[in-house]
Amino acid sequence: MSDTLTILGLESSCDDTAAAVVRHTPGQSPEILATVVAGQTELHAAYGGVVPEIAARAHAEKLDICVEQALDRAGVALRDMDAIAVTAGPGLIGGVMSGVMCAKGLAVGANRPLIGVNHLAGHALTPRLVDTVAFPYLMLLVSGGHCQFLLVHAPDEFTRLGGTIDDAPGEAFDKTARILGLPQPGGPSVEAAAKSGDPRRFALPRPLLNQEGCNMSFSGLKTAVLRARDALVADQGGITEQDRADLCAGFQAAVCDVLAEKTRRALATYLAHNPATPTIAVAGGVAANQAIRGALETVCDANGVAFTAPPLNLCTDNAAMIAWAGIERIRTGAAYDDLTLMARPRWPLDQSSPSMLGSGKKGAKA
Amino acid sequence: MRPEPLVLGFDTSAAHCAAALLLGDRVLAEMTEEMTRGQAERLFPILEQVLSMGGHAWSDLDAIGVGIGPGNFTGIRISVSAARGLSLSLGVPAVGVSGFDALAYGTEEPVLTSIDGRRDQVYLQQTGAEPFQAHLDELPSDLSHTGLTVIGHGAERLAAHTGGTIAAPAAPVAVAIAAIAGARAASGQVARPAPLYLRAADAAPAADQPPKILT
Repeated sequence: MSDTLTILGLESSCDDTAAAVVRHTPGQSPEILATVVAGQTELHAAYGGVVPEIAARAHAEKLDICVEQALDRAGVALRDMDAIAVTAGPGLIGGVMSGVMCAKGLAVGANRPLIGVNHLAGHALTPRLVDTVAFPYLMLLVSGGHCQFLLVHAPDEFTRLGGTIDDAPGEAFDKTARILGLPQPGGPSVEAAAKSGDPRRFALPRPLLNQEGCNMSFSGLKTAVLRARDALVADQGGITEQDRADLCAGFQAAVCDVLAEKTRRALATYLAHNPATPTIAVAGGVAANQAIRGALETVCDANGVAFTAPPLNLCTDNAAMIAWAGIERIRTGAAYDDLTLMARPRWPLDQSSPSMLGSGKKGAKA
Repeated sequence: MRPEPLVLGFDTSAAHCAAALLLGDRVLAEMTEEMTRGQAERLFPILEQVLSMGGHAWSDLDAIGVGIGPGNFTGIRISVSAARGLSLSLGVPAVGVSGFDALAYGTEEPVLTSIDGRRDQVYLQQTGAEPFQAHLDELPSDLSHTGLTVIGHGAERLAAHTGGTIAAPAAPVAVAIAAIAGARAASGQVARPAPLYLRAADAAPAADQPPKILT
């Protein structure tokens, strides 16, 4: 019997409905046979953020269609799968639950095993899907909903070195875009506007920059942009294109500075582990920002550390990373899940470090 | 499809997990567990139990029947998502059945069916008409019909309002869903099941206005 694994992955934890088929034979590069992502940007456009109920409604009626498309494009049948991997959290619970229930229906009907995957593990293991990256590596996961530094020791072993204590950078980009009347999603529109801006015109804060450790904060930065805008509006009745470009440039520079400095510190901790081939990987939608990428690459170059970032379609939410995380877990000998698999709104990757964000009945967010 | 299709029906649109296995009109097994949470974890174990009580396996099924609401949004999605996954993996149709049709099943028309919409709201459907949402204190005046039977939530007030007669559902919800699904599947192509929300998502457009751009 061959050790080749072919896995179907499902993802529905935020505003992308996705299905993918990934195949892997030990000693060879993994192969993405198909990856399908159905976005919902237009559904949420009027609300200035992802509306959980609207997202859940869309997932419930799109998931099986995405799965059909992925199987079709891959030219495989459901019964050919070695397992079905599904995001079981963390994320917006309505969407996660739809994914988990659809996956259970697929698994029992095709008589295939089911494996619940942590969405963050999907992002964190993506460098190994597209590149030969050895453990341990340093991961900066930076997206619309998350921001954390992780030491990735193994497919199921992560140490969180720090992260945001409030907003994620992607969220701050979206809010900044809204404050300045730029279209959503904010990442690309703020980045485009920043190109013609002067990052030094507005003195925006670098929250927690001088505080020890790798924790970050982006909520105050967004508020500073709002104050600067309001001052301009009070002064001149509105803002000019140049004002907007300068604010975007100033905001983006502040995010870059914070991420670069905290990466330097995370790197020091990481290098103390004496990794054989020191590597920093980034993932998450914000990793698509060229200025941020550039700032991180500069840090890596200065320290003689390799830098890797998956292609954009694997940086943002997708199901290939879920299928891949499933494969990685199966290879470690992890047990399959049974039909009582739970959808979890919160599920920190590193369960041993003290919680940083969120508490109470739902448990720690990160 | 066989003359007597084997149909698994289930529903989680309210505070329960209900499932039934029917061969034609014959109920082979049936199970209902009351619960306000945990349906997503319990549903499949219950479905497997009902199948095994009825002496059948997943691969024997000819169709799936699923309750599409209205009711609890999350509950509806739990079942609809499960049914869509099952339909794809088993290669059999999944048929969505509304809570109104399940309540009216086996009762002679005209029937006014009613489902709890919380905070004195009800979801109503008059046989053959479009379903809608209403407040129990502000019921429309045109609900009365000769020989009307009223079934479901707030039936007493609805009967007083319409002059209709109160009745209990003729069959448990999952039994009704399976029976209706079997009949619809036998009659031809069916669309993928989709939730029947009857209420928009609770979301307000962004309040903050963009700044004026000076040129």
